[in-house]
Amino acid sequence: MRQRPRTTLPLALGLTSMIALSGCAAGSASSSSGERVEGGTIVYAHQQEPPCVFGGWIEQAYLSYQVLDNLVSLDEDGEVVPWLAEEWSASEDGLTWTFTLQEGVQFTDGTPVDAEAIAYNFDYWVAGGNSTAQVWLQDYYESANAVDERTVEIHLKAPYPRLADNLTQGYFGIQSQHALETRSDEENCAAPIGSGAFTVEHWTRGQNITLVRNDEYTSWPANAEHTGPAYVERIDWRFVPDGTTRVAALQSGEVDAVYDVPAVQWQSVEDGGFELHRYITPGRPQQLSFDTKEGPFTDQLVRQAFAYSLDREEIVGTIGHGVIPWEGNGGVSQATPGYSEKAAGWYSYDPDRANELLDEAGWTERNSDGVRLKDGEPLKVVLPYGAGSILNADGAAILQGVKEQASEVGFDVELVPVPQSELFAGAYSTPEERDFEVGYWTSVTAGILYINWRPSTEEAPNYNNGAFYDDPELAAIILEANSTADVEAQNALYAKAQEYIAERALAIGLYDRLSTLAVDPSLRGVWQEHAQGGPTFYDAHFVQ
Amino acid sequence: MTALRPARSPSRPSRRRAPWSLAPAAALVGFLGIALVAPQVLATHDPFALDYAAALQPPSLAHWFGTDESGRDLYSRVVFGTRESLAIGLGAAAVGLAGAIVLGALAALGPRPVAAAVDRLLEVLFAFPALLLALLLIAIAGPSALTQILAVGVGTAPGYARMVRGQILAAKNSGYVQAAVALGHTRWRILRAHVLPNALRPLVAVFALSVGQSIVWASSLSFLGLGVAPPSPEWGALLDAGRTYIVQAGWLVVIPGLVIVALALTATTLGRHLQAGLERGEK
Repeated sequence: MRQRPRTTLPLALGLTSMIALSGCAAGSASSSSGERVEGGTIVYAHQQEPPCVFGGWIEQAYLSYQVLDNLVSLDEDGEVVPWLAEEWSASEDGLTWTFTLQEGVQFTDGTPVDAEAIAYNFDYWVAGGNSTAQVWLQDYYESANAVDERTVEIHLKAPYPRLADNLTQGYFGIQSQHALETRSDEENCAAPIGSGAFTVEHWTRGQNITLVRNDEYTSWPANAEHTGPAYVERIDWRFVPDGTTRVAALQSGEVDAVYDVPAVQWQSVEDGGFELHRYITPGRPQQLSFDTKEGPFTDQLVRQAFAYSLDREEIVGTIGHGVIPWEGNGGVSQATPGYSEKAAGWYSYDPDRANELLDEAGWTERNSDGVRLKDGEPLKVVLPYGAGSILNADGAAILQGVKEQASEVGFDVELVPVPQSELFAGAYSTPEERDFEVGYWTSVTAGILYINWRPSTEEAPNYNNGAFYDDPELAAIILEANSTADVEAQNALYAKAQEYIAERALAIGLYDRLSTLAVDPSLRGVWQEHAQGGPTFYDAHFVQ
Repeated sequence: MTALRPARSPSRPSRRRAPWSLAPAAALVGFLGIALVAPQVLATHDPFALDYAAALQPPSLAHWFGTDESGRDLYSRVVFGTRESLAIGLGAAAVGLAGAIVLGALAALGPRPVAAAVDRLLEVLFAFPALLLALLLIAIAGPSALTQILAVGVGTAPGYARMVRGQILAAKNSGYVQAAVALGHTRWRILRAHVLPNALRPLVAVFALSVGQSIVWASSLSFLGLGVAPPSPEWGALLDAGRTYIVQAGWLVVIPGLVIVALALTATTLGRHLQAGLERGEK
């Protein structure tokens, strides 16, 4: 039995009402015998509140994953395993996928989870019902049709051998066709109807969402730890934006589990006897994409100089306290299949090289502040970032290190924290407004490269191409990789694309985005689902 | 502000010894004055220089206020943050009070339809939490120190406007004003010589209090990502940035907090003293 130490928070004079201070005396560590308690309510403190339960942002996938089932699930070895679909196969030409559904599964509105509903969901996503599912599928998806009640065929325009892997992500949760057709958008936003282990009971905006157990649950994924309905009766999914407050709430026993433990508190939470989970998000890491269309970074030498000016390992190592891994690769994170070590190691800290490159690029003069000049123009670059949404406090501190180190070689980096509402409304999205894009994109495969680097065309603009880099050569490598069935050959092609990006310094990595959880020892069976790292409460139960 | 000029008095007030509380207040004003004009004289380190090896060091001889998560010297950051913090505190208080005086005076002295309209407007503004008003302004103009000054000023103005209106009405209905009317003084003279000086004098203390409050408000906006851009050492931003480390490095919050408290206390002490001086001057 481990005793949780008493934590004393310094009193900060109550200066700001935001600083939630809890002089928290930790409750006694649970003297659990490990015997499962039936029912109960899990109080879970999450960081961010999405606009809808279901949608194209990971914060939505985390929530909808509790409520909706997918066709398939990803197990801890990265294998695709059955969920609503008990088996699936692709035709020899790779253009037709056939999924066979479990028998007798019902949505919580009583309608059947049948092939027609699945086909409807595919059409719904591609039509914009889920923005992320849409960008994954749109260039490959042709149509879906129900062959019989339990068999659905997905027709593709080009082979996509990793389709099933992608379908394990929360963006591909299956909803009731009846609900989508008959209910209002608001209703489907706030409480989508699926066949999942929980249903949405109530959403108090700005505060919490309560999820209640689906007692008729029959469709658990193959990698779940038990069968039958969930053990707990309810989940009180609270929104607590401040990391320190979340941890204090956990330590005081107010909540049973928290998301996103600040790196600096990791050790003390572990020492307190809480169970910690850390998931390194595959897909795009937290990276900097350079604006290749407008401004100083249209010059490859300047981009490379910026990359050489940073000691990213030192910055991330200090701010991340050994919890956050630094990432050199600007294409995909180290947790992604097909990751290229070579691309990751392309630029190491070398300020002399950075200075040489800037001299060569014509930024030879410096003003009194040490900022380089070219034709009298200062080397000023604008770095907007989603404060509190795309980057947490640790990420924002890392960017301050970037600004300061780059200033040593003569860059003037203007950091612009952008509130979530503005960011999602499209602020700083054009080449004229910014010189960098910072951000991540979770994905179980390196196929994310296609989303981030597909060239924009007039008919099909790609707003996810943060570097504004419209290069058919890079796109051709990625497209070939997307359709290559052999995993090794595919990974080699994805690696080639990452090296292409690194060589031209189109994007550089900063650190790998984490999903972390801290769980009270009285709550067992919480796991992070393997496609995106969100908390899974289906197997969770309290112990005595 | 001419309205704050003390009314002429027949005799000089008796000189009194300054209260003890004035000494530390004066010292702080002196310190902040230097920090305002020449922060490099007081600072011991470059406020922006990273020193990752020295991250999160508690206060020591080398770093009087300790260091932050990137190893920056907190004392030097506090010194360099004075300019922006005071600009926000004084600026927002000035904007708030100026708005309040205009609105309050209109509500109390304006022609009936105008007064009624201003009254209703104040009621509507009151219905909004002040922070919401500030957020609205920032949403329109984008975050910056200037927007913060305007936002906090506009956010606090309705509350003070009510106070101004009440004060003016009280002065307007007072015996000495009625006497002045009976003596046949002009409307303008009555307003200038009696109503405004008496009504606005209490605002000196309010202004002083509002400086500290404005800085705290600004820190609330920083918390929401709507304050000055990092890595500015503005005190509210320091307070906000320290939140993540409150358990492991409490000084990052406590020290900027104490500095804000010290400033607010100083402003209040000086404000009270000034007000007392004004009142004595009137006798």
